[in-house]
Amino acid sequence: MSDVAALRVEDLHEIVEQVWSSYLDPDGIEPLLPIFSEEDVAALKTDMHASVSITGTWHGHVVVACNEPAAKNCSAAFLAMEADEVGEEDMMDVLGELANIVGGNVKSMLPPGCFVSLPTVVTGEAPHYPSAEPVCQLAGLWKEDPFVITMWQSSGAAGEAA
Amino acid sequence: MSHVQAILIDDSRAMRLILRRIVGQIGFDAVEAEDGQAAIDLLNSMEKPPELALIDWNMPNMNGLEFVTAVRKEPKYREMTLVMVTTESEQSQIVRALAAGAHEYVIKPFTAGAMIEKLALLGLVPQGASS
Repeated sequence: MSDVAALRVEDLHEIVEQVWSSYLDPDGIEPLLPIFSEEDVAALKTDMHASVSITGTWHGHVVVACNEPAAKNCSAAFLAMEADEVGEEDMMDVLGELANIVGGNVKSMLPPGCFVSLPTVVTGEAPHYPSAEPVCQLAGLWKEDPFVITMWQSSGAAGEAA
Repeated sequence: MSHVQAILIDDSRAMRLILRRIVGQIGFDAVEAEDGQAAIDLLNSMEKPPELALIDWNMPNMNGLEFVTAVRKEPKYREMTLVMVTTESEQSQIVRALAAGAHEYVIKPFTAGAMIEKLALLGLVPQGASS
């Protein structure tokens, strides 16, 4: 079995901190504040989901989820505009790029020989991966709105491949 | 019309905007393309090729590696500096990109300062430009 179990929430947090300090919080004033209580995490409501799939020596998905205000703030920071100027297309583009960056950096912690798909962004219900299970999750608040980053590992032969 | 000094190739508009801000800090005018094929079409329409191309790897239609390979076959683009800007950090893939003709490699996420440092090492930051 691949060594993905070694990927810890601290690793996800480090990736997220790099993304935040590069694009969303360059002055280090408003970092993503992690939430550790399972009850608090379960209470977070997200309706925008950006994901990339990873294939190759490891199979799974990386999903970045948030709500619309978070997506607006995030897009405003990326695009250097006011949150109320941000449109639907901006949010889709920025969340997709976030998933691409987080997923690409997750891939760097996996065994060599993995490939990352182009990002997909959906609104409403979270994407459902019937043959996968969450193996690592980082949840937090940014400017009081939720961000949840989850790594799903596919089960079966593909997910077991090393 | 001023000479365009950079082409920014990324399927994310947000990332192209970030790159535009950064190259703007060193005084570069830039054009944008959303994938490798669109970039080649744009280059073919330009009188003089830009000095710098910042290239994402993972894009639809034509990816960054295919773009680098295609551009390196064209003598008219010999002087253009090609920099991969990507999340692809696997050693074997970096080697592939450099072997195909990329000059440098920047891994996302990056700060503006880190990108400008990299461009300075390539001799692309004019004297007195912001860093």
